[in-house]
Amino acid sequence: MNQPKENAGLSMKDYNHNNLCTWCDGCGNYGILTAIKRALIELELAPHQVLICFDVGCHGNMSDTLVGYRFHGLHGRVISLAAGAALANPDVPVIAFGGDGACFSEGVGHLVHAVRSNYNMTFILHNNANYGLTTGQASALTPHGEKMNTAPHGTVEELLNSMDFVFSLNPSFVARGTSGNIKQLTDIIKAGINHQGFSYIDVLQACPTYNKFATHEYLLGKCYEVETSDFETARKAAVDTSEKIATGVLYQDKTRSTFLDQLEARKGIDTRLVDEVRKVDVSALLAKFS
Amino acid sequence: MSRISIKIVGAQGQGVNSVGEMCAKGLKRAGYCVFGEREYMSVIMNGHSSYQLEISNEKVRSAQEKSDVLVTFNHHGIKNNLRDLIEGGVLLHQTPQWKFGEEDQKFIDANSIKVIYLPTEEILKKLNAKPVLGNVLITSVVWSLIGRSSDELKEMVRERFGHKKDLLELNFKCIDEGTQLIEIEKLVLPEPDDCWKSQLLITGSQAMGLGAIHAGCRALFGYPMTPASPLLTFLADIQGESKMLVKQAEDEITAVQMMVGAMHAGTRAMTATSGGGYDLMTETISLCGISETPAVIVLAQRPGPGTGLPTWTAQGDLLMAVSAGHGEFPRVVMSVSDAEDSFSLMMDAFNYAEEFQIPVTVLTEKQIAESLFTIDALQVRGDRLQVRRGRLVDGDGLKLLRASDRYDPDAPDGVSARWLPGSDAPTYCAQSYEHNADGSFDESGENATAQMEKRMKKMKGLKRVLPEPELWKVNSEKLIVNSDFSGEIDVLVVSWGSNKNVILDSINDESVAYLHYTYLWPLKTEKLVELAAKAKKTVLVEGNAQGQLGMLIKQECGLEFDERVLKFDGRVSVPLQLIS
Repeated sequence: MNQPKENAGLSMKDYNHNNLCTWCDGCGNYGILTAIKRALIELELAPHQVLICFDVGCHGNMSDTLVGYRFHGLHGRVISLAAGAALANPDVPVIAFGGDGACFSEGVGHLVHAVRSNYNMTFILHNNANYGLTTGQASALTPHGEKMNTAPHGTVEELLNSMDFVFSLNPSFVARGTSGNIKQLTDIIKAGINHQGFSYIDVLQACPTYNKFATHEYLLGKCYEVETSDFETARKAAVDTSEKIATGVLYQDKTRSTFLDQLEARKGIDTRLVDEVRKVDVSALLAKFS
Repeated sequence: MSRISIKIVGAQGQGVNSVGEMCAKGLKRAGYCVFGEREYMSVIMNGHSSYQLEISNEKVRSAQEKSDVLVTFNHHGIKNNLRDLIEGGVLLHQTPQWKFGEEDQKFIDANSIKVIYLPTEEILKKLNAKPVLGNVLITSVVWSLIGRSSDELKEMVRERFGHKKDLLELNFKCIDEGTQLIEIEKLVLPEPDDCWKSQLLITGSQAMGLGAIHAGCRALFGYPMTPASPLLTFLADIQGESKMLVKQAEDEITAVQMMVGAMHAGTRAMTATSGGGYDLMTETISLCGISETPAVIVLAQRPGPGTGLPTWTAQGDLLMAVSAGHGEFPRVVMSVSDAEDSFSLMMDAFNYAEEFQIPVTVLTEKQIAESLFTIDALQVRGDRLQVRRGRLVDGDGLKLLRASDRYDPDAPDGVSARWLPGSDAPTYCAQSYEHNADGSFDESGENATAQMEKRMKKMKGLKRVLPEPELWKVNSEKLIVNSDFSGEIDVLVVSWGSNKNVILDSINDESVAYLHYTYLWPLKTEKLVELAAKAKKTVLVEGNAQGQLGMLIKQECGLEFDERVLKFDGRVSVPLQLIS
């Protein structure tokens, strides 16, 4: 990021919004909110220099609690929305937030193809293993057998291993953090924003109201930090969470080209799509129709 | 109108389209207005398909029911399409030792049909040419039948294969063989008119693609679905020249969301689909309504419901486009009718989307998207059209902004200032939840009322600026758009979309006037009511089962038509004989 120096004096209050915060006490979203604000400040990005997109869910109410250009869209669709914006203006970093319900059930297809396409954007998964805003239903990331709203006898569906799933898509950046470790999460988010390509950041998040199986204390006790490693090592460490949970920037491939960089038609063009809106003379394209 | 019709039929993959396109191009260059219409089945190989060419020295926009010449690639064509010939028509077939059935022979005798057998396989064998060259051979036979010189055809072939010397020579040999083959009386074409030579021969989809480029559209996000796919393919094929970003997304929801993201960031982007894909996009259209994000969606209609008739034409999605998406919000629904407005209306679509910060749906139909039209190149080159971006703020204007300007409920016409992410200005939230002026949540009843009223006010502004429907009438022996709505009218025909072409080709005297609706929502009805009051008979023509425009008209002004002509079999709308 080559941002102007005048942003060096940014502080948390530049990102604070006056709106009332409506999350439950002890919600992991507070930690994630703090980490994103710190990451942006440390990257010397002013609120008007970023676009932050939100899915619908408890996490999405963050749209009210920080300033910056924001788009709070539809449930399940945040990745595609953010990708479109990132393609149109690659100079504005795009960060998309979504929950495990939105991004592993409703809109899982978007995640699959965004990883494949390697759009230059950062995706932060609020992984609290349930649908919080609709009062505690099971998501695809809820462990098998948990008793949840609409599953009073325990869930029947198998748990989807988010890390195994994402690694199977040949991602260019995978990280995992927790809402309880704000310092580490700040560094992860910074690395994600700096990465050229699709950054997948899986944040294990406490949900004191509906998630009784992976609490703040449980997560703090199980998580440990690892160094970034090669694909196979990283995948192995990420997938096996039976004893302890590996966190940090697990894997990064800095050699991969982004979607936009690979487009033959856009090679050698300095302008962004947002700079190019004007009437275009199509005379040169008419020869084949005469 | 003096015109000739040539119909080429065969199995898909046999070259029906190449022969049709080659003939069309040659004829246009020779000084004819050409209209080409494709019919085919939803398969890749072996389905029965046809390409019908209408040729005239006057403006021709539609195909007749019967043809002067029928060219068949296989015996199915002979059996299925023999009765598409007029009395005295010519059948050119390529089926060796074909014996006509008793009924067919009777039809041939009764209608004096001239039957010509083309020994294509034999000739190709003699020339040691591959089967694909059969297309050039057949084209040259047709060419000679309509009395054109083989040099014209050779020139076109040279353009296409000039870089391959061997192939070019073989092509020329085929042309020489083909032109010597026929010894019957040639068909007499009307006298050519040089005015057509400089015009363009182009499909609705191609014209729409060029129109989008011309309008400053810099990205297309799509997902394949007939009959929207040709637009996606065309823009993908020319991205090297246009430098446009063309993305085939994983589904229609993604396509429309990416378009909205790109529009929000500040470029011009669009998506295109057919009815089923539009269904999937509707939640996002509703999102655009509340977040006040400009959006342009092309809806290329085919018959539904369900998968329906994928490769046929329809006008069944008007009511869907007008009401798609939950909740209430302003929007524009407009429809193209031919290649000319497929080009020009794209600028309007983007302008209205940005000026009013609303979703705009551009309807087209298979009949427009895939038909070949002869259009005035000046319409495409002209600078009549301008990019208008409404209340988009940049430069010094940014300094005066407050975050609460974004959704200011008191903005004139309900259109508040809009500025782009990355602008050095106060920031706001584009919100799908009901929100207050800066995009923050606000569930109060007062705010909900104020914001709904702000948005819905746009409908009034739109009604004020949208053009009136076009009144086509014969005036001093010429069929033209009349700006003057006075004068006598016997029959008032009202329709939209591709029906315009058939209707205009059928009007030949002053007694019938045609009112064409391009802008379908919000719907302007004042002129219609005025005209209907003095017409002796009003007739509604639509390509759907319910008379959907008629339903909207009744809803808006109470008018009911004396007669409704509705067609919903996937085929093109009826000729005017049925309604006069």
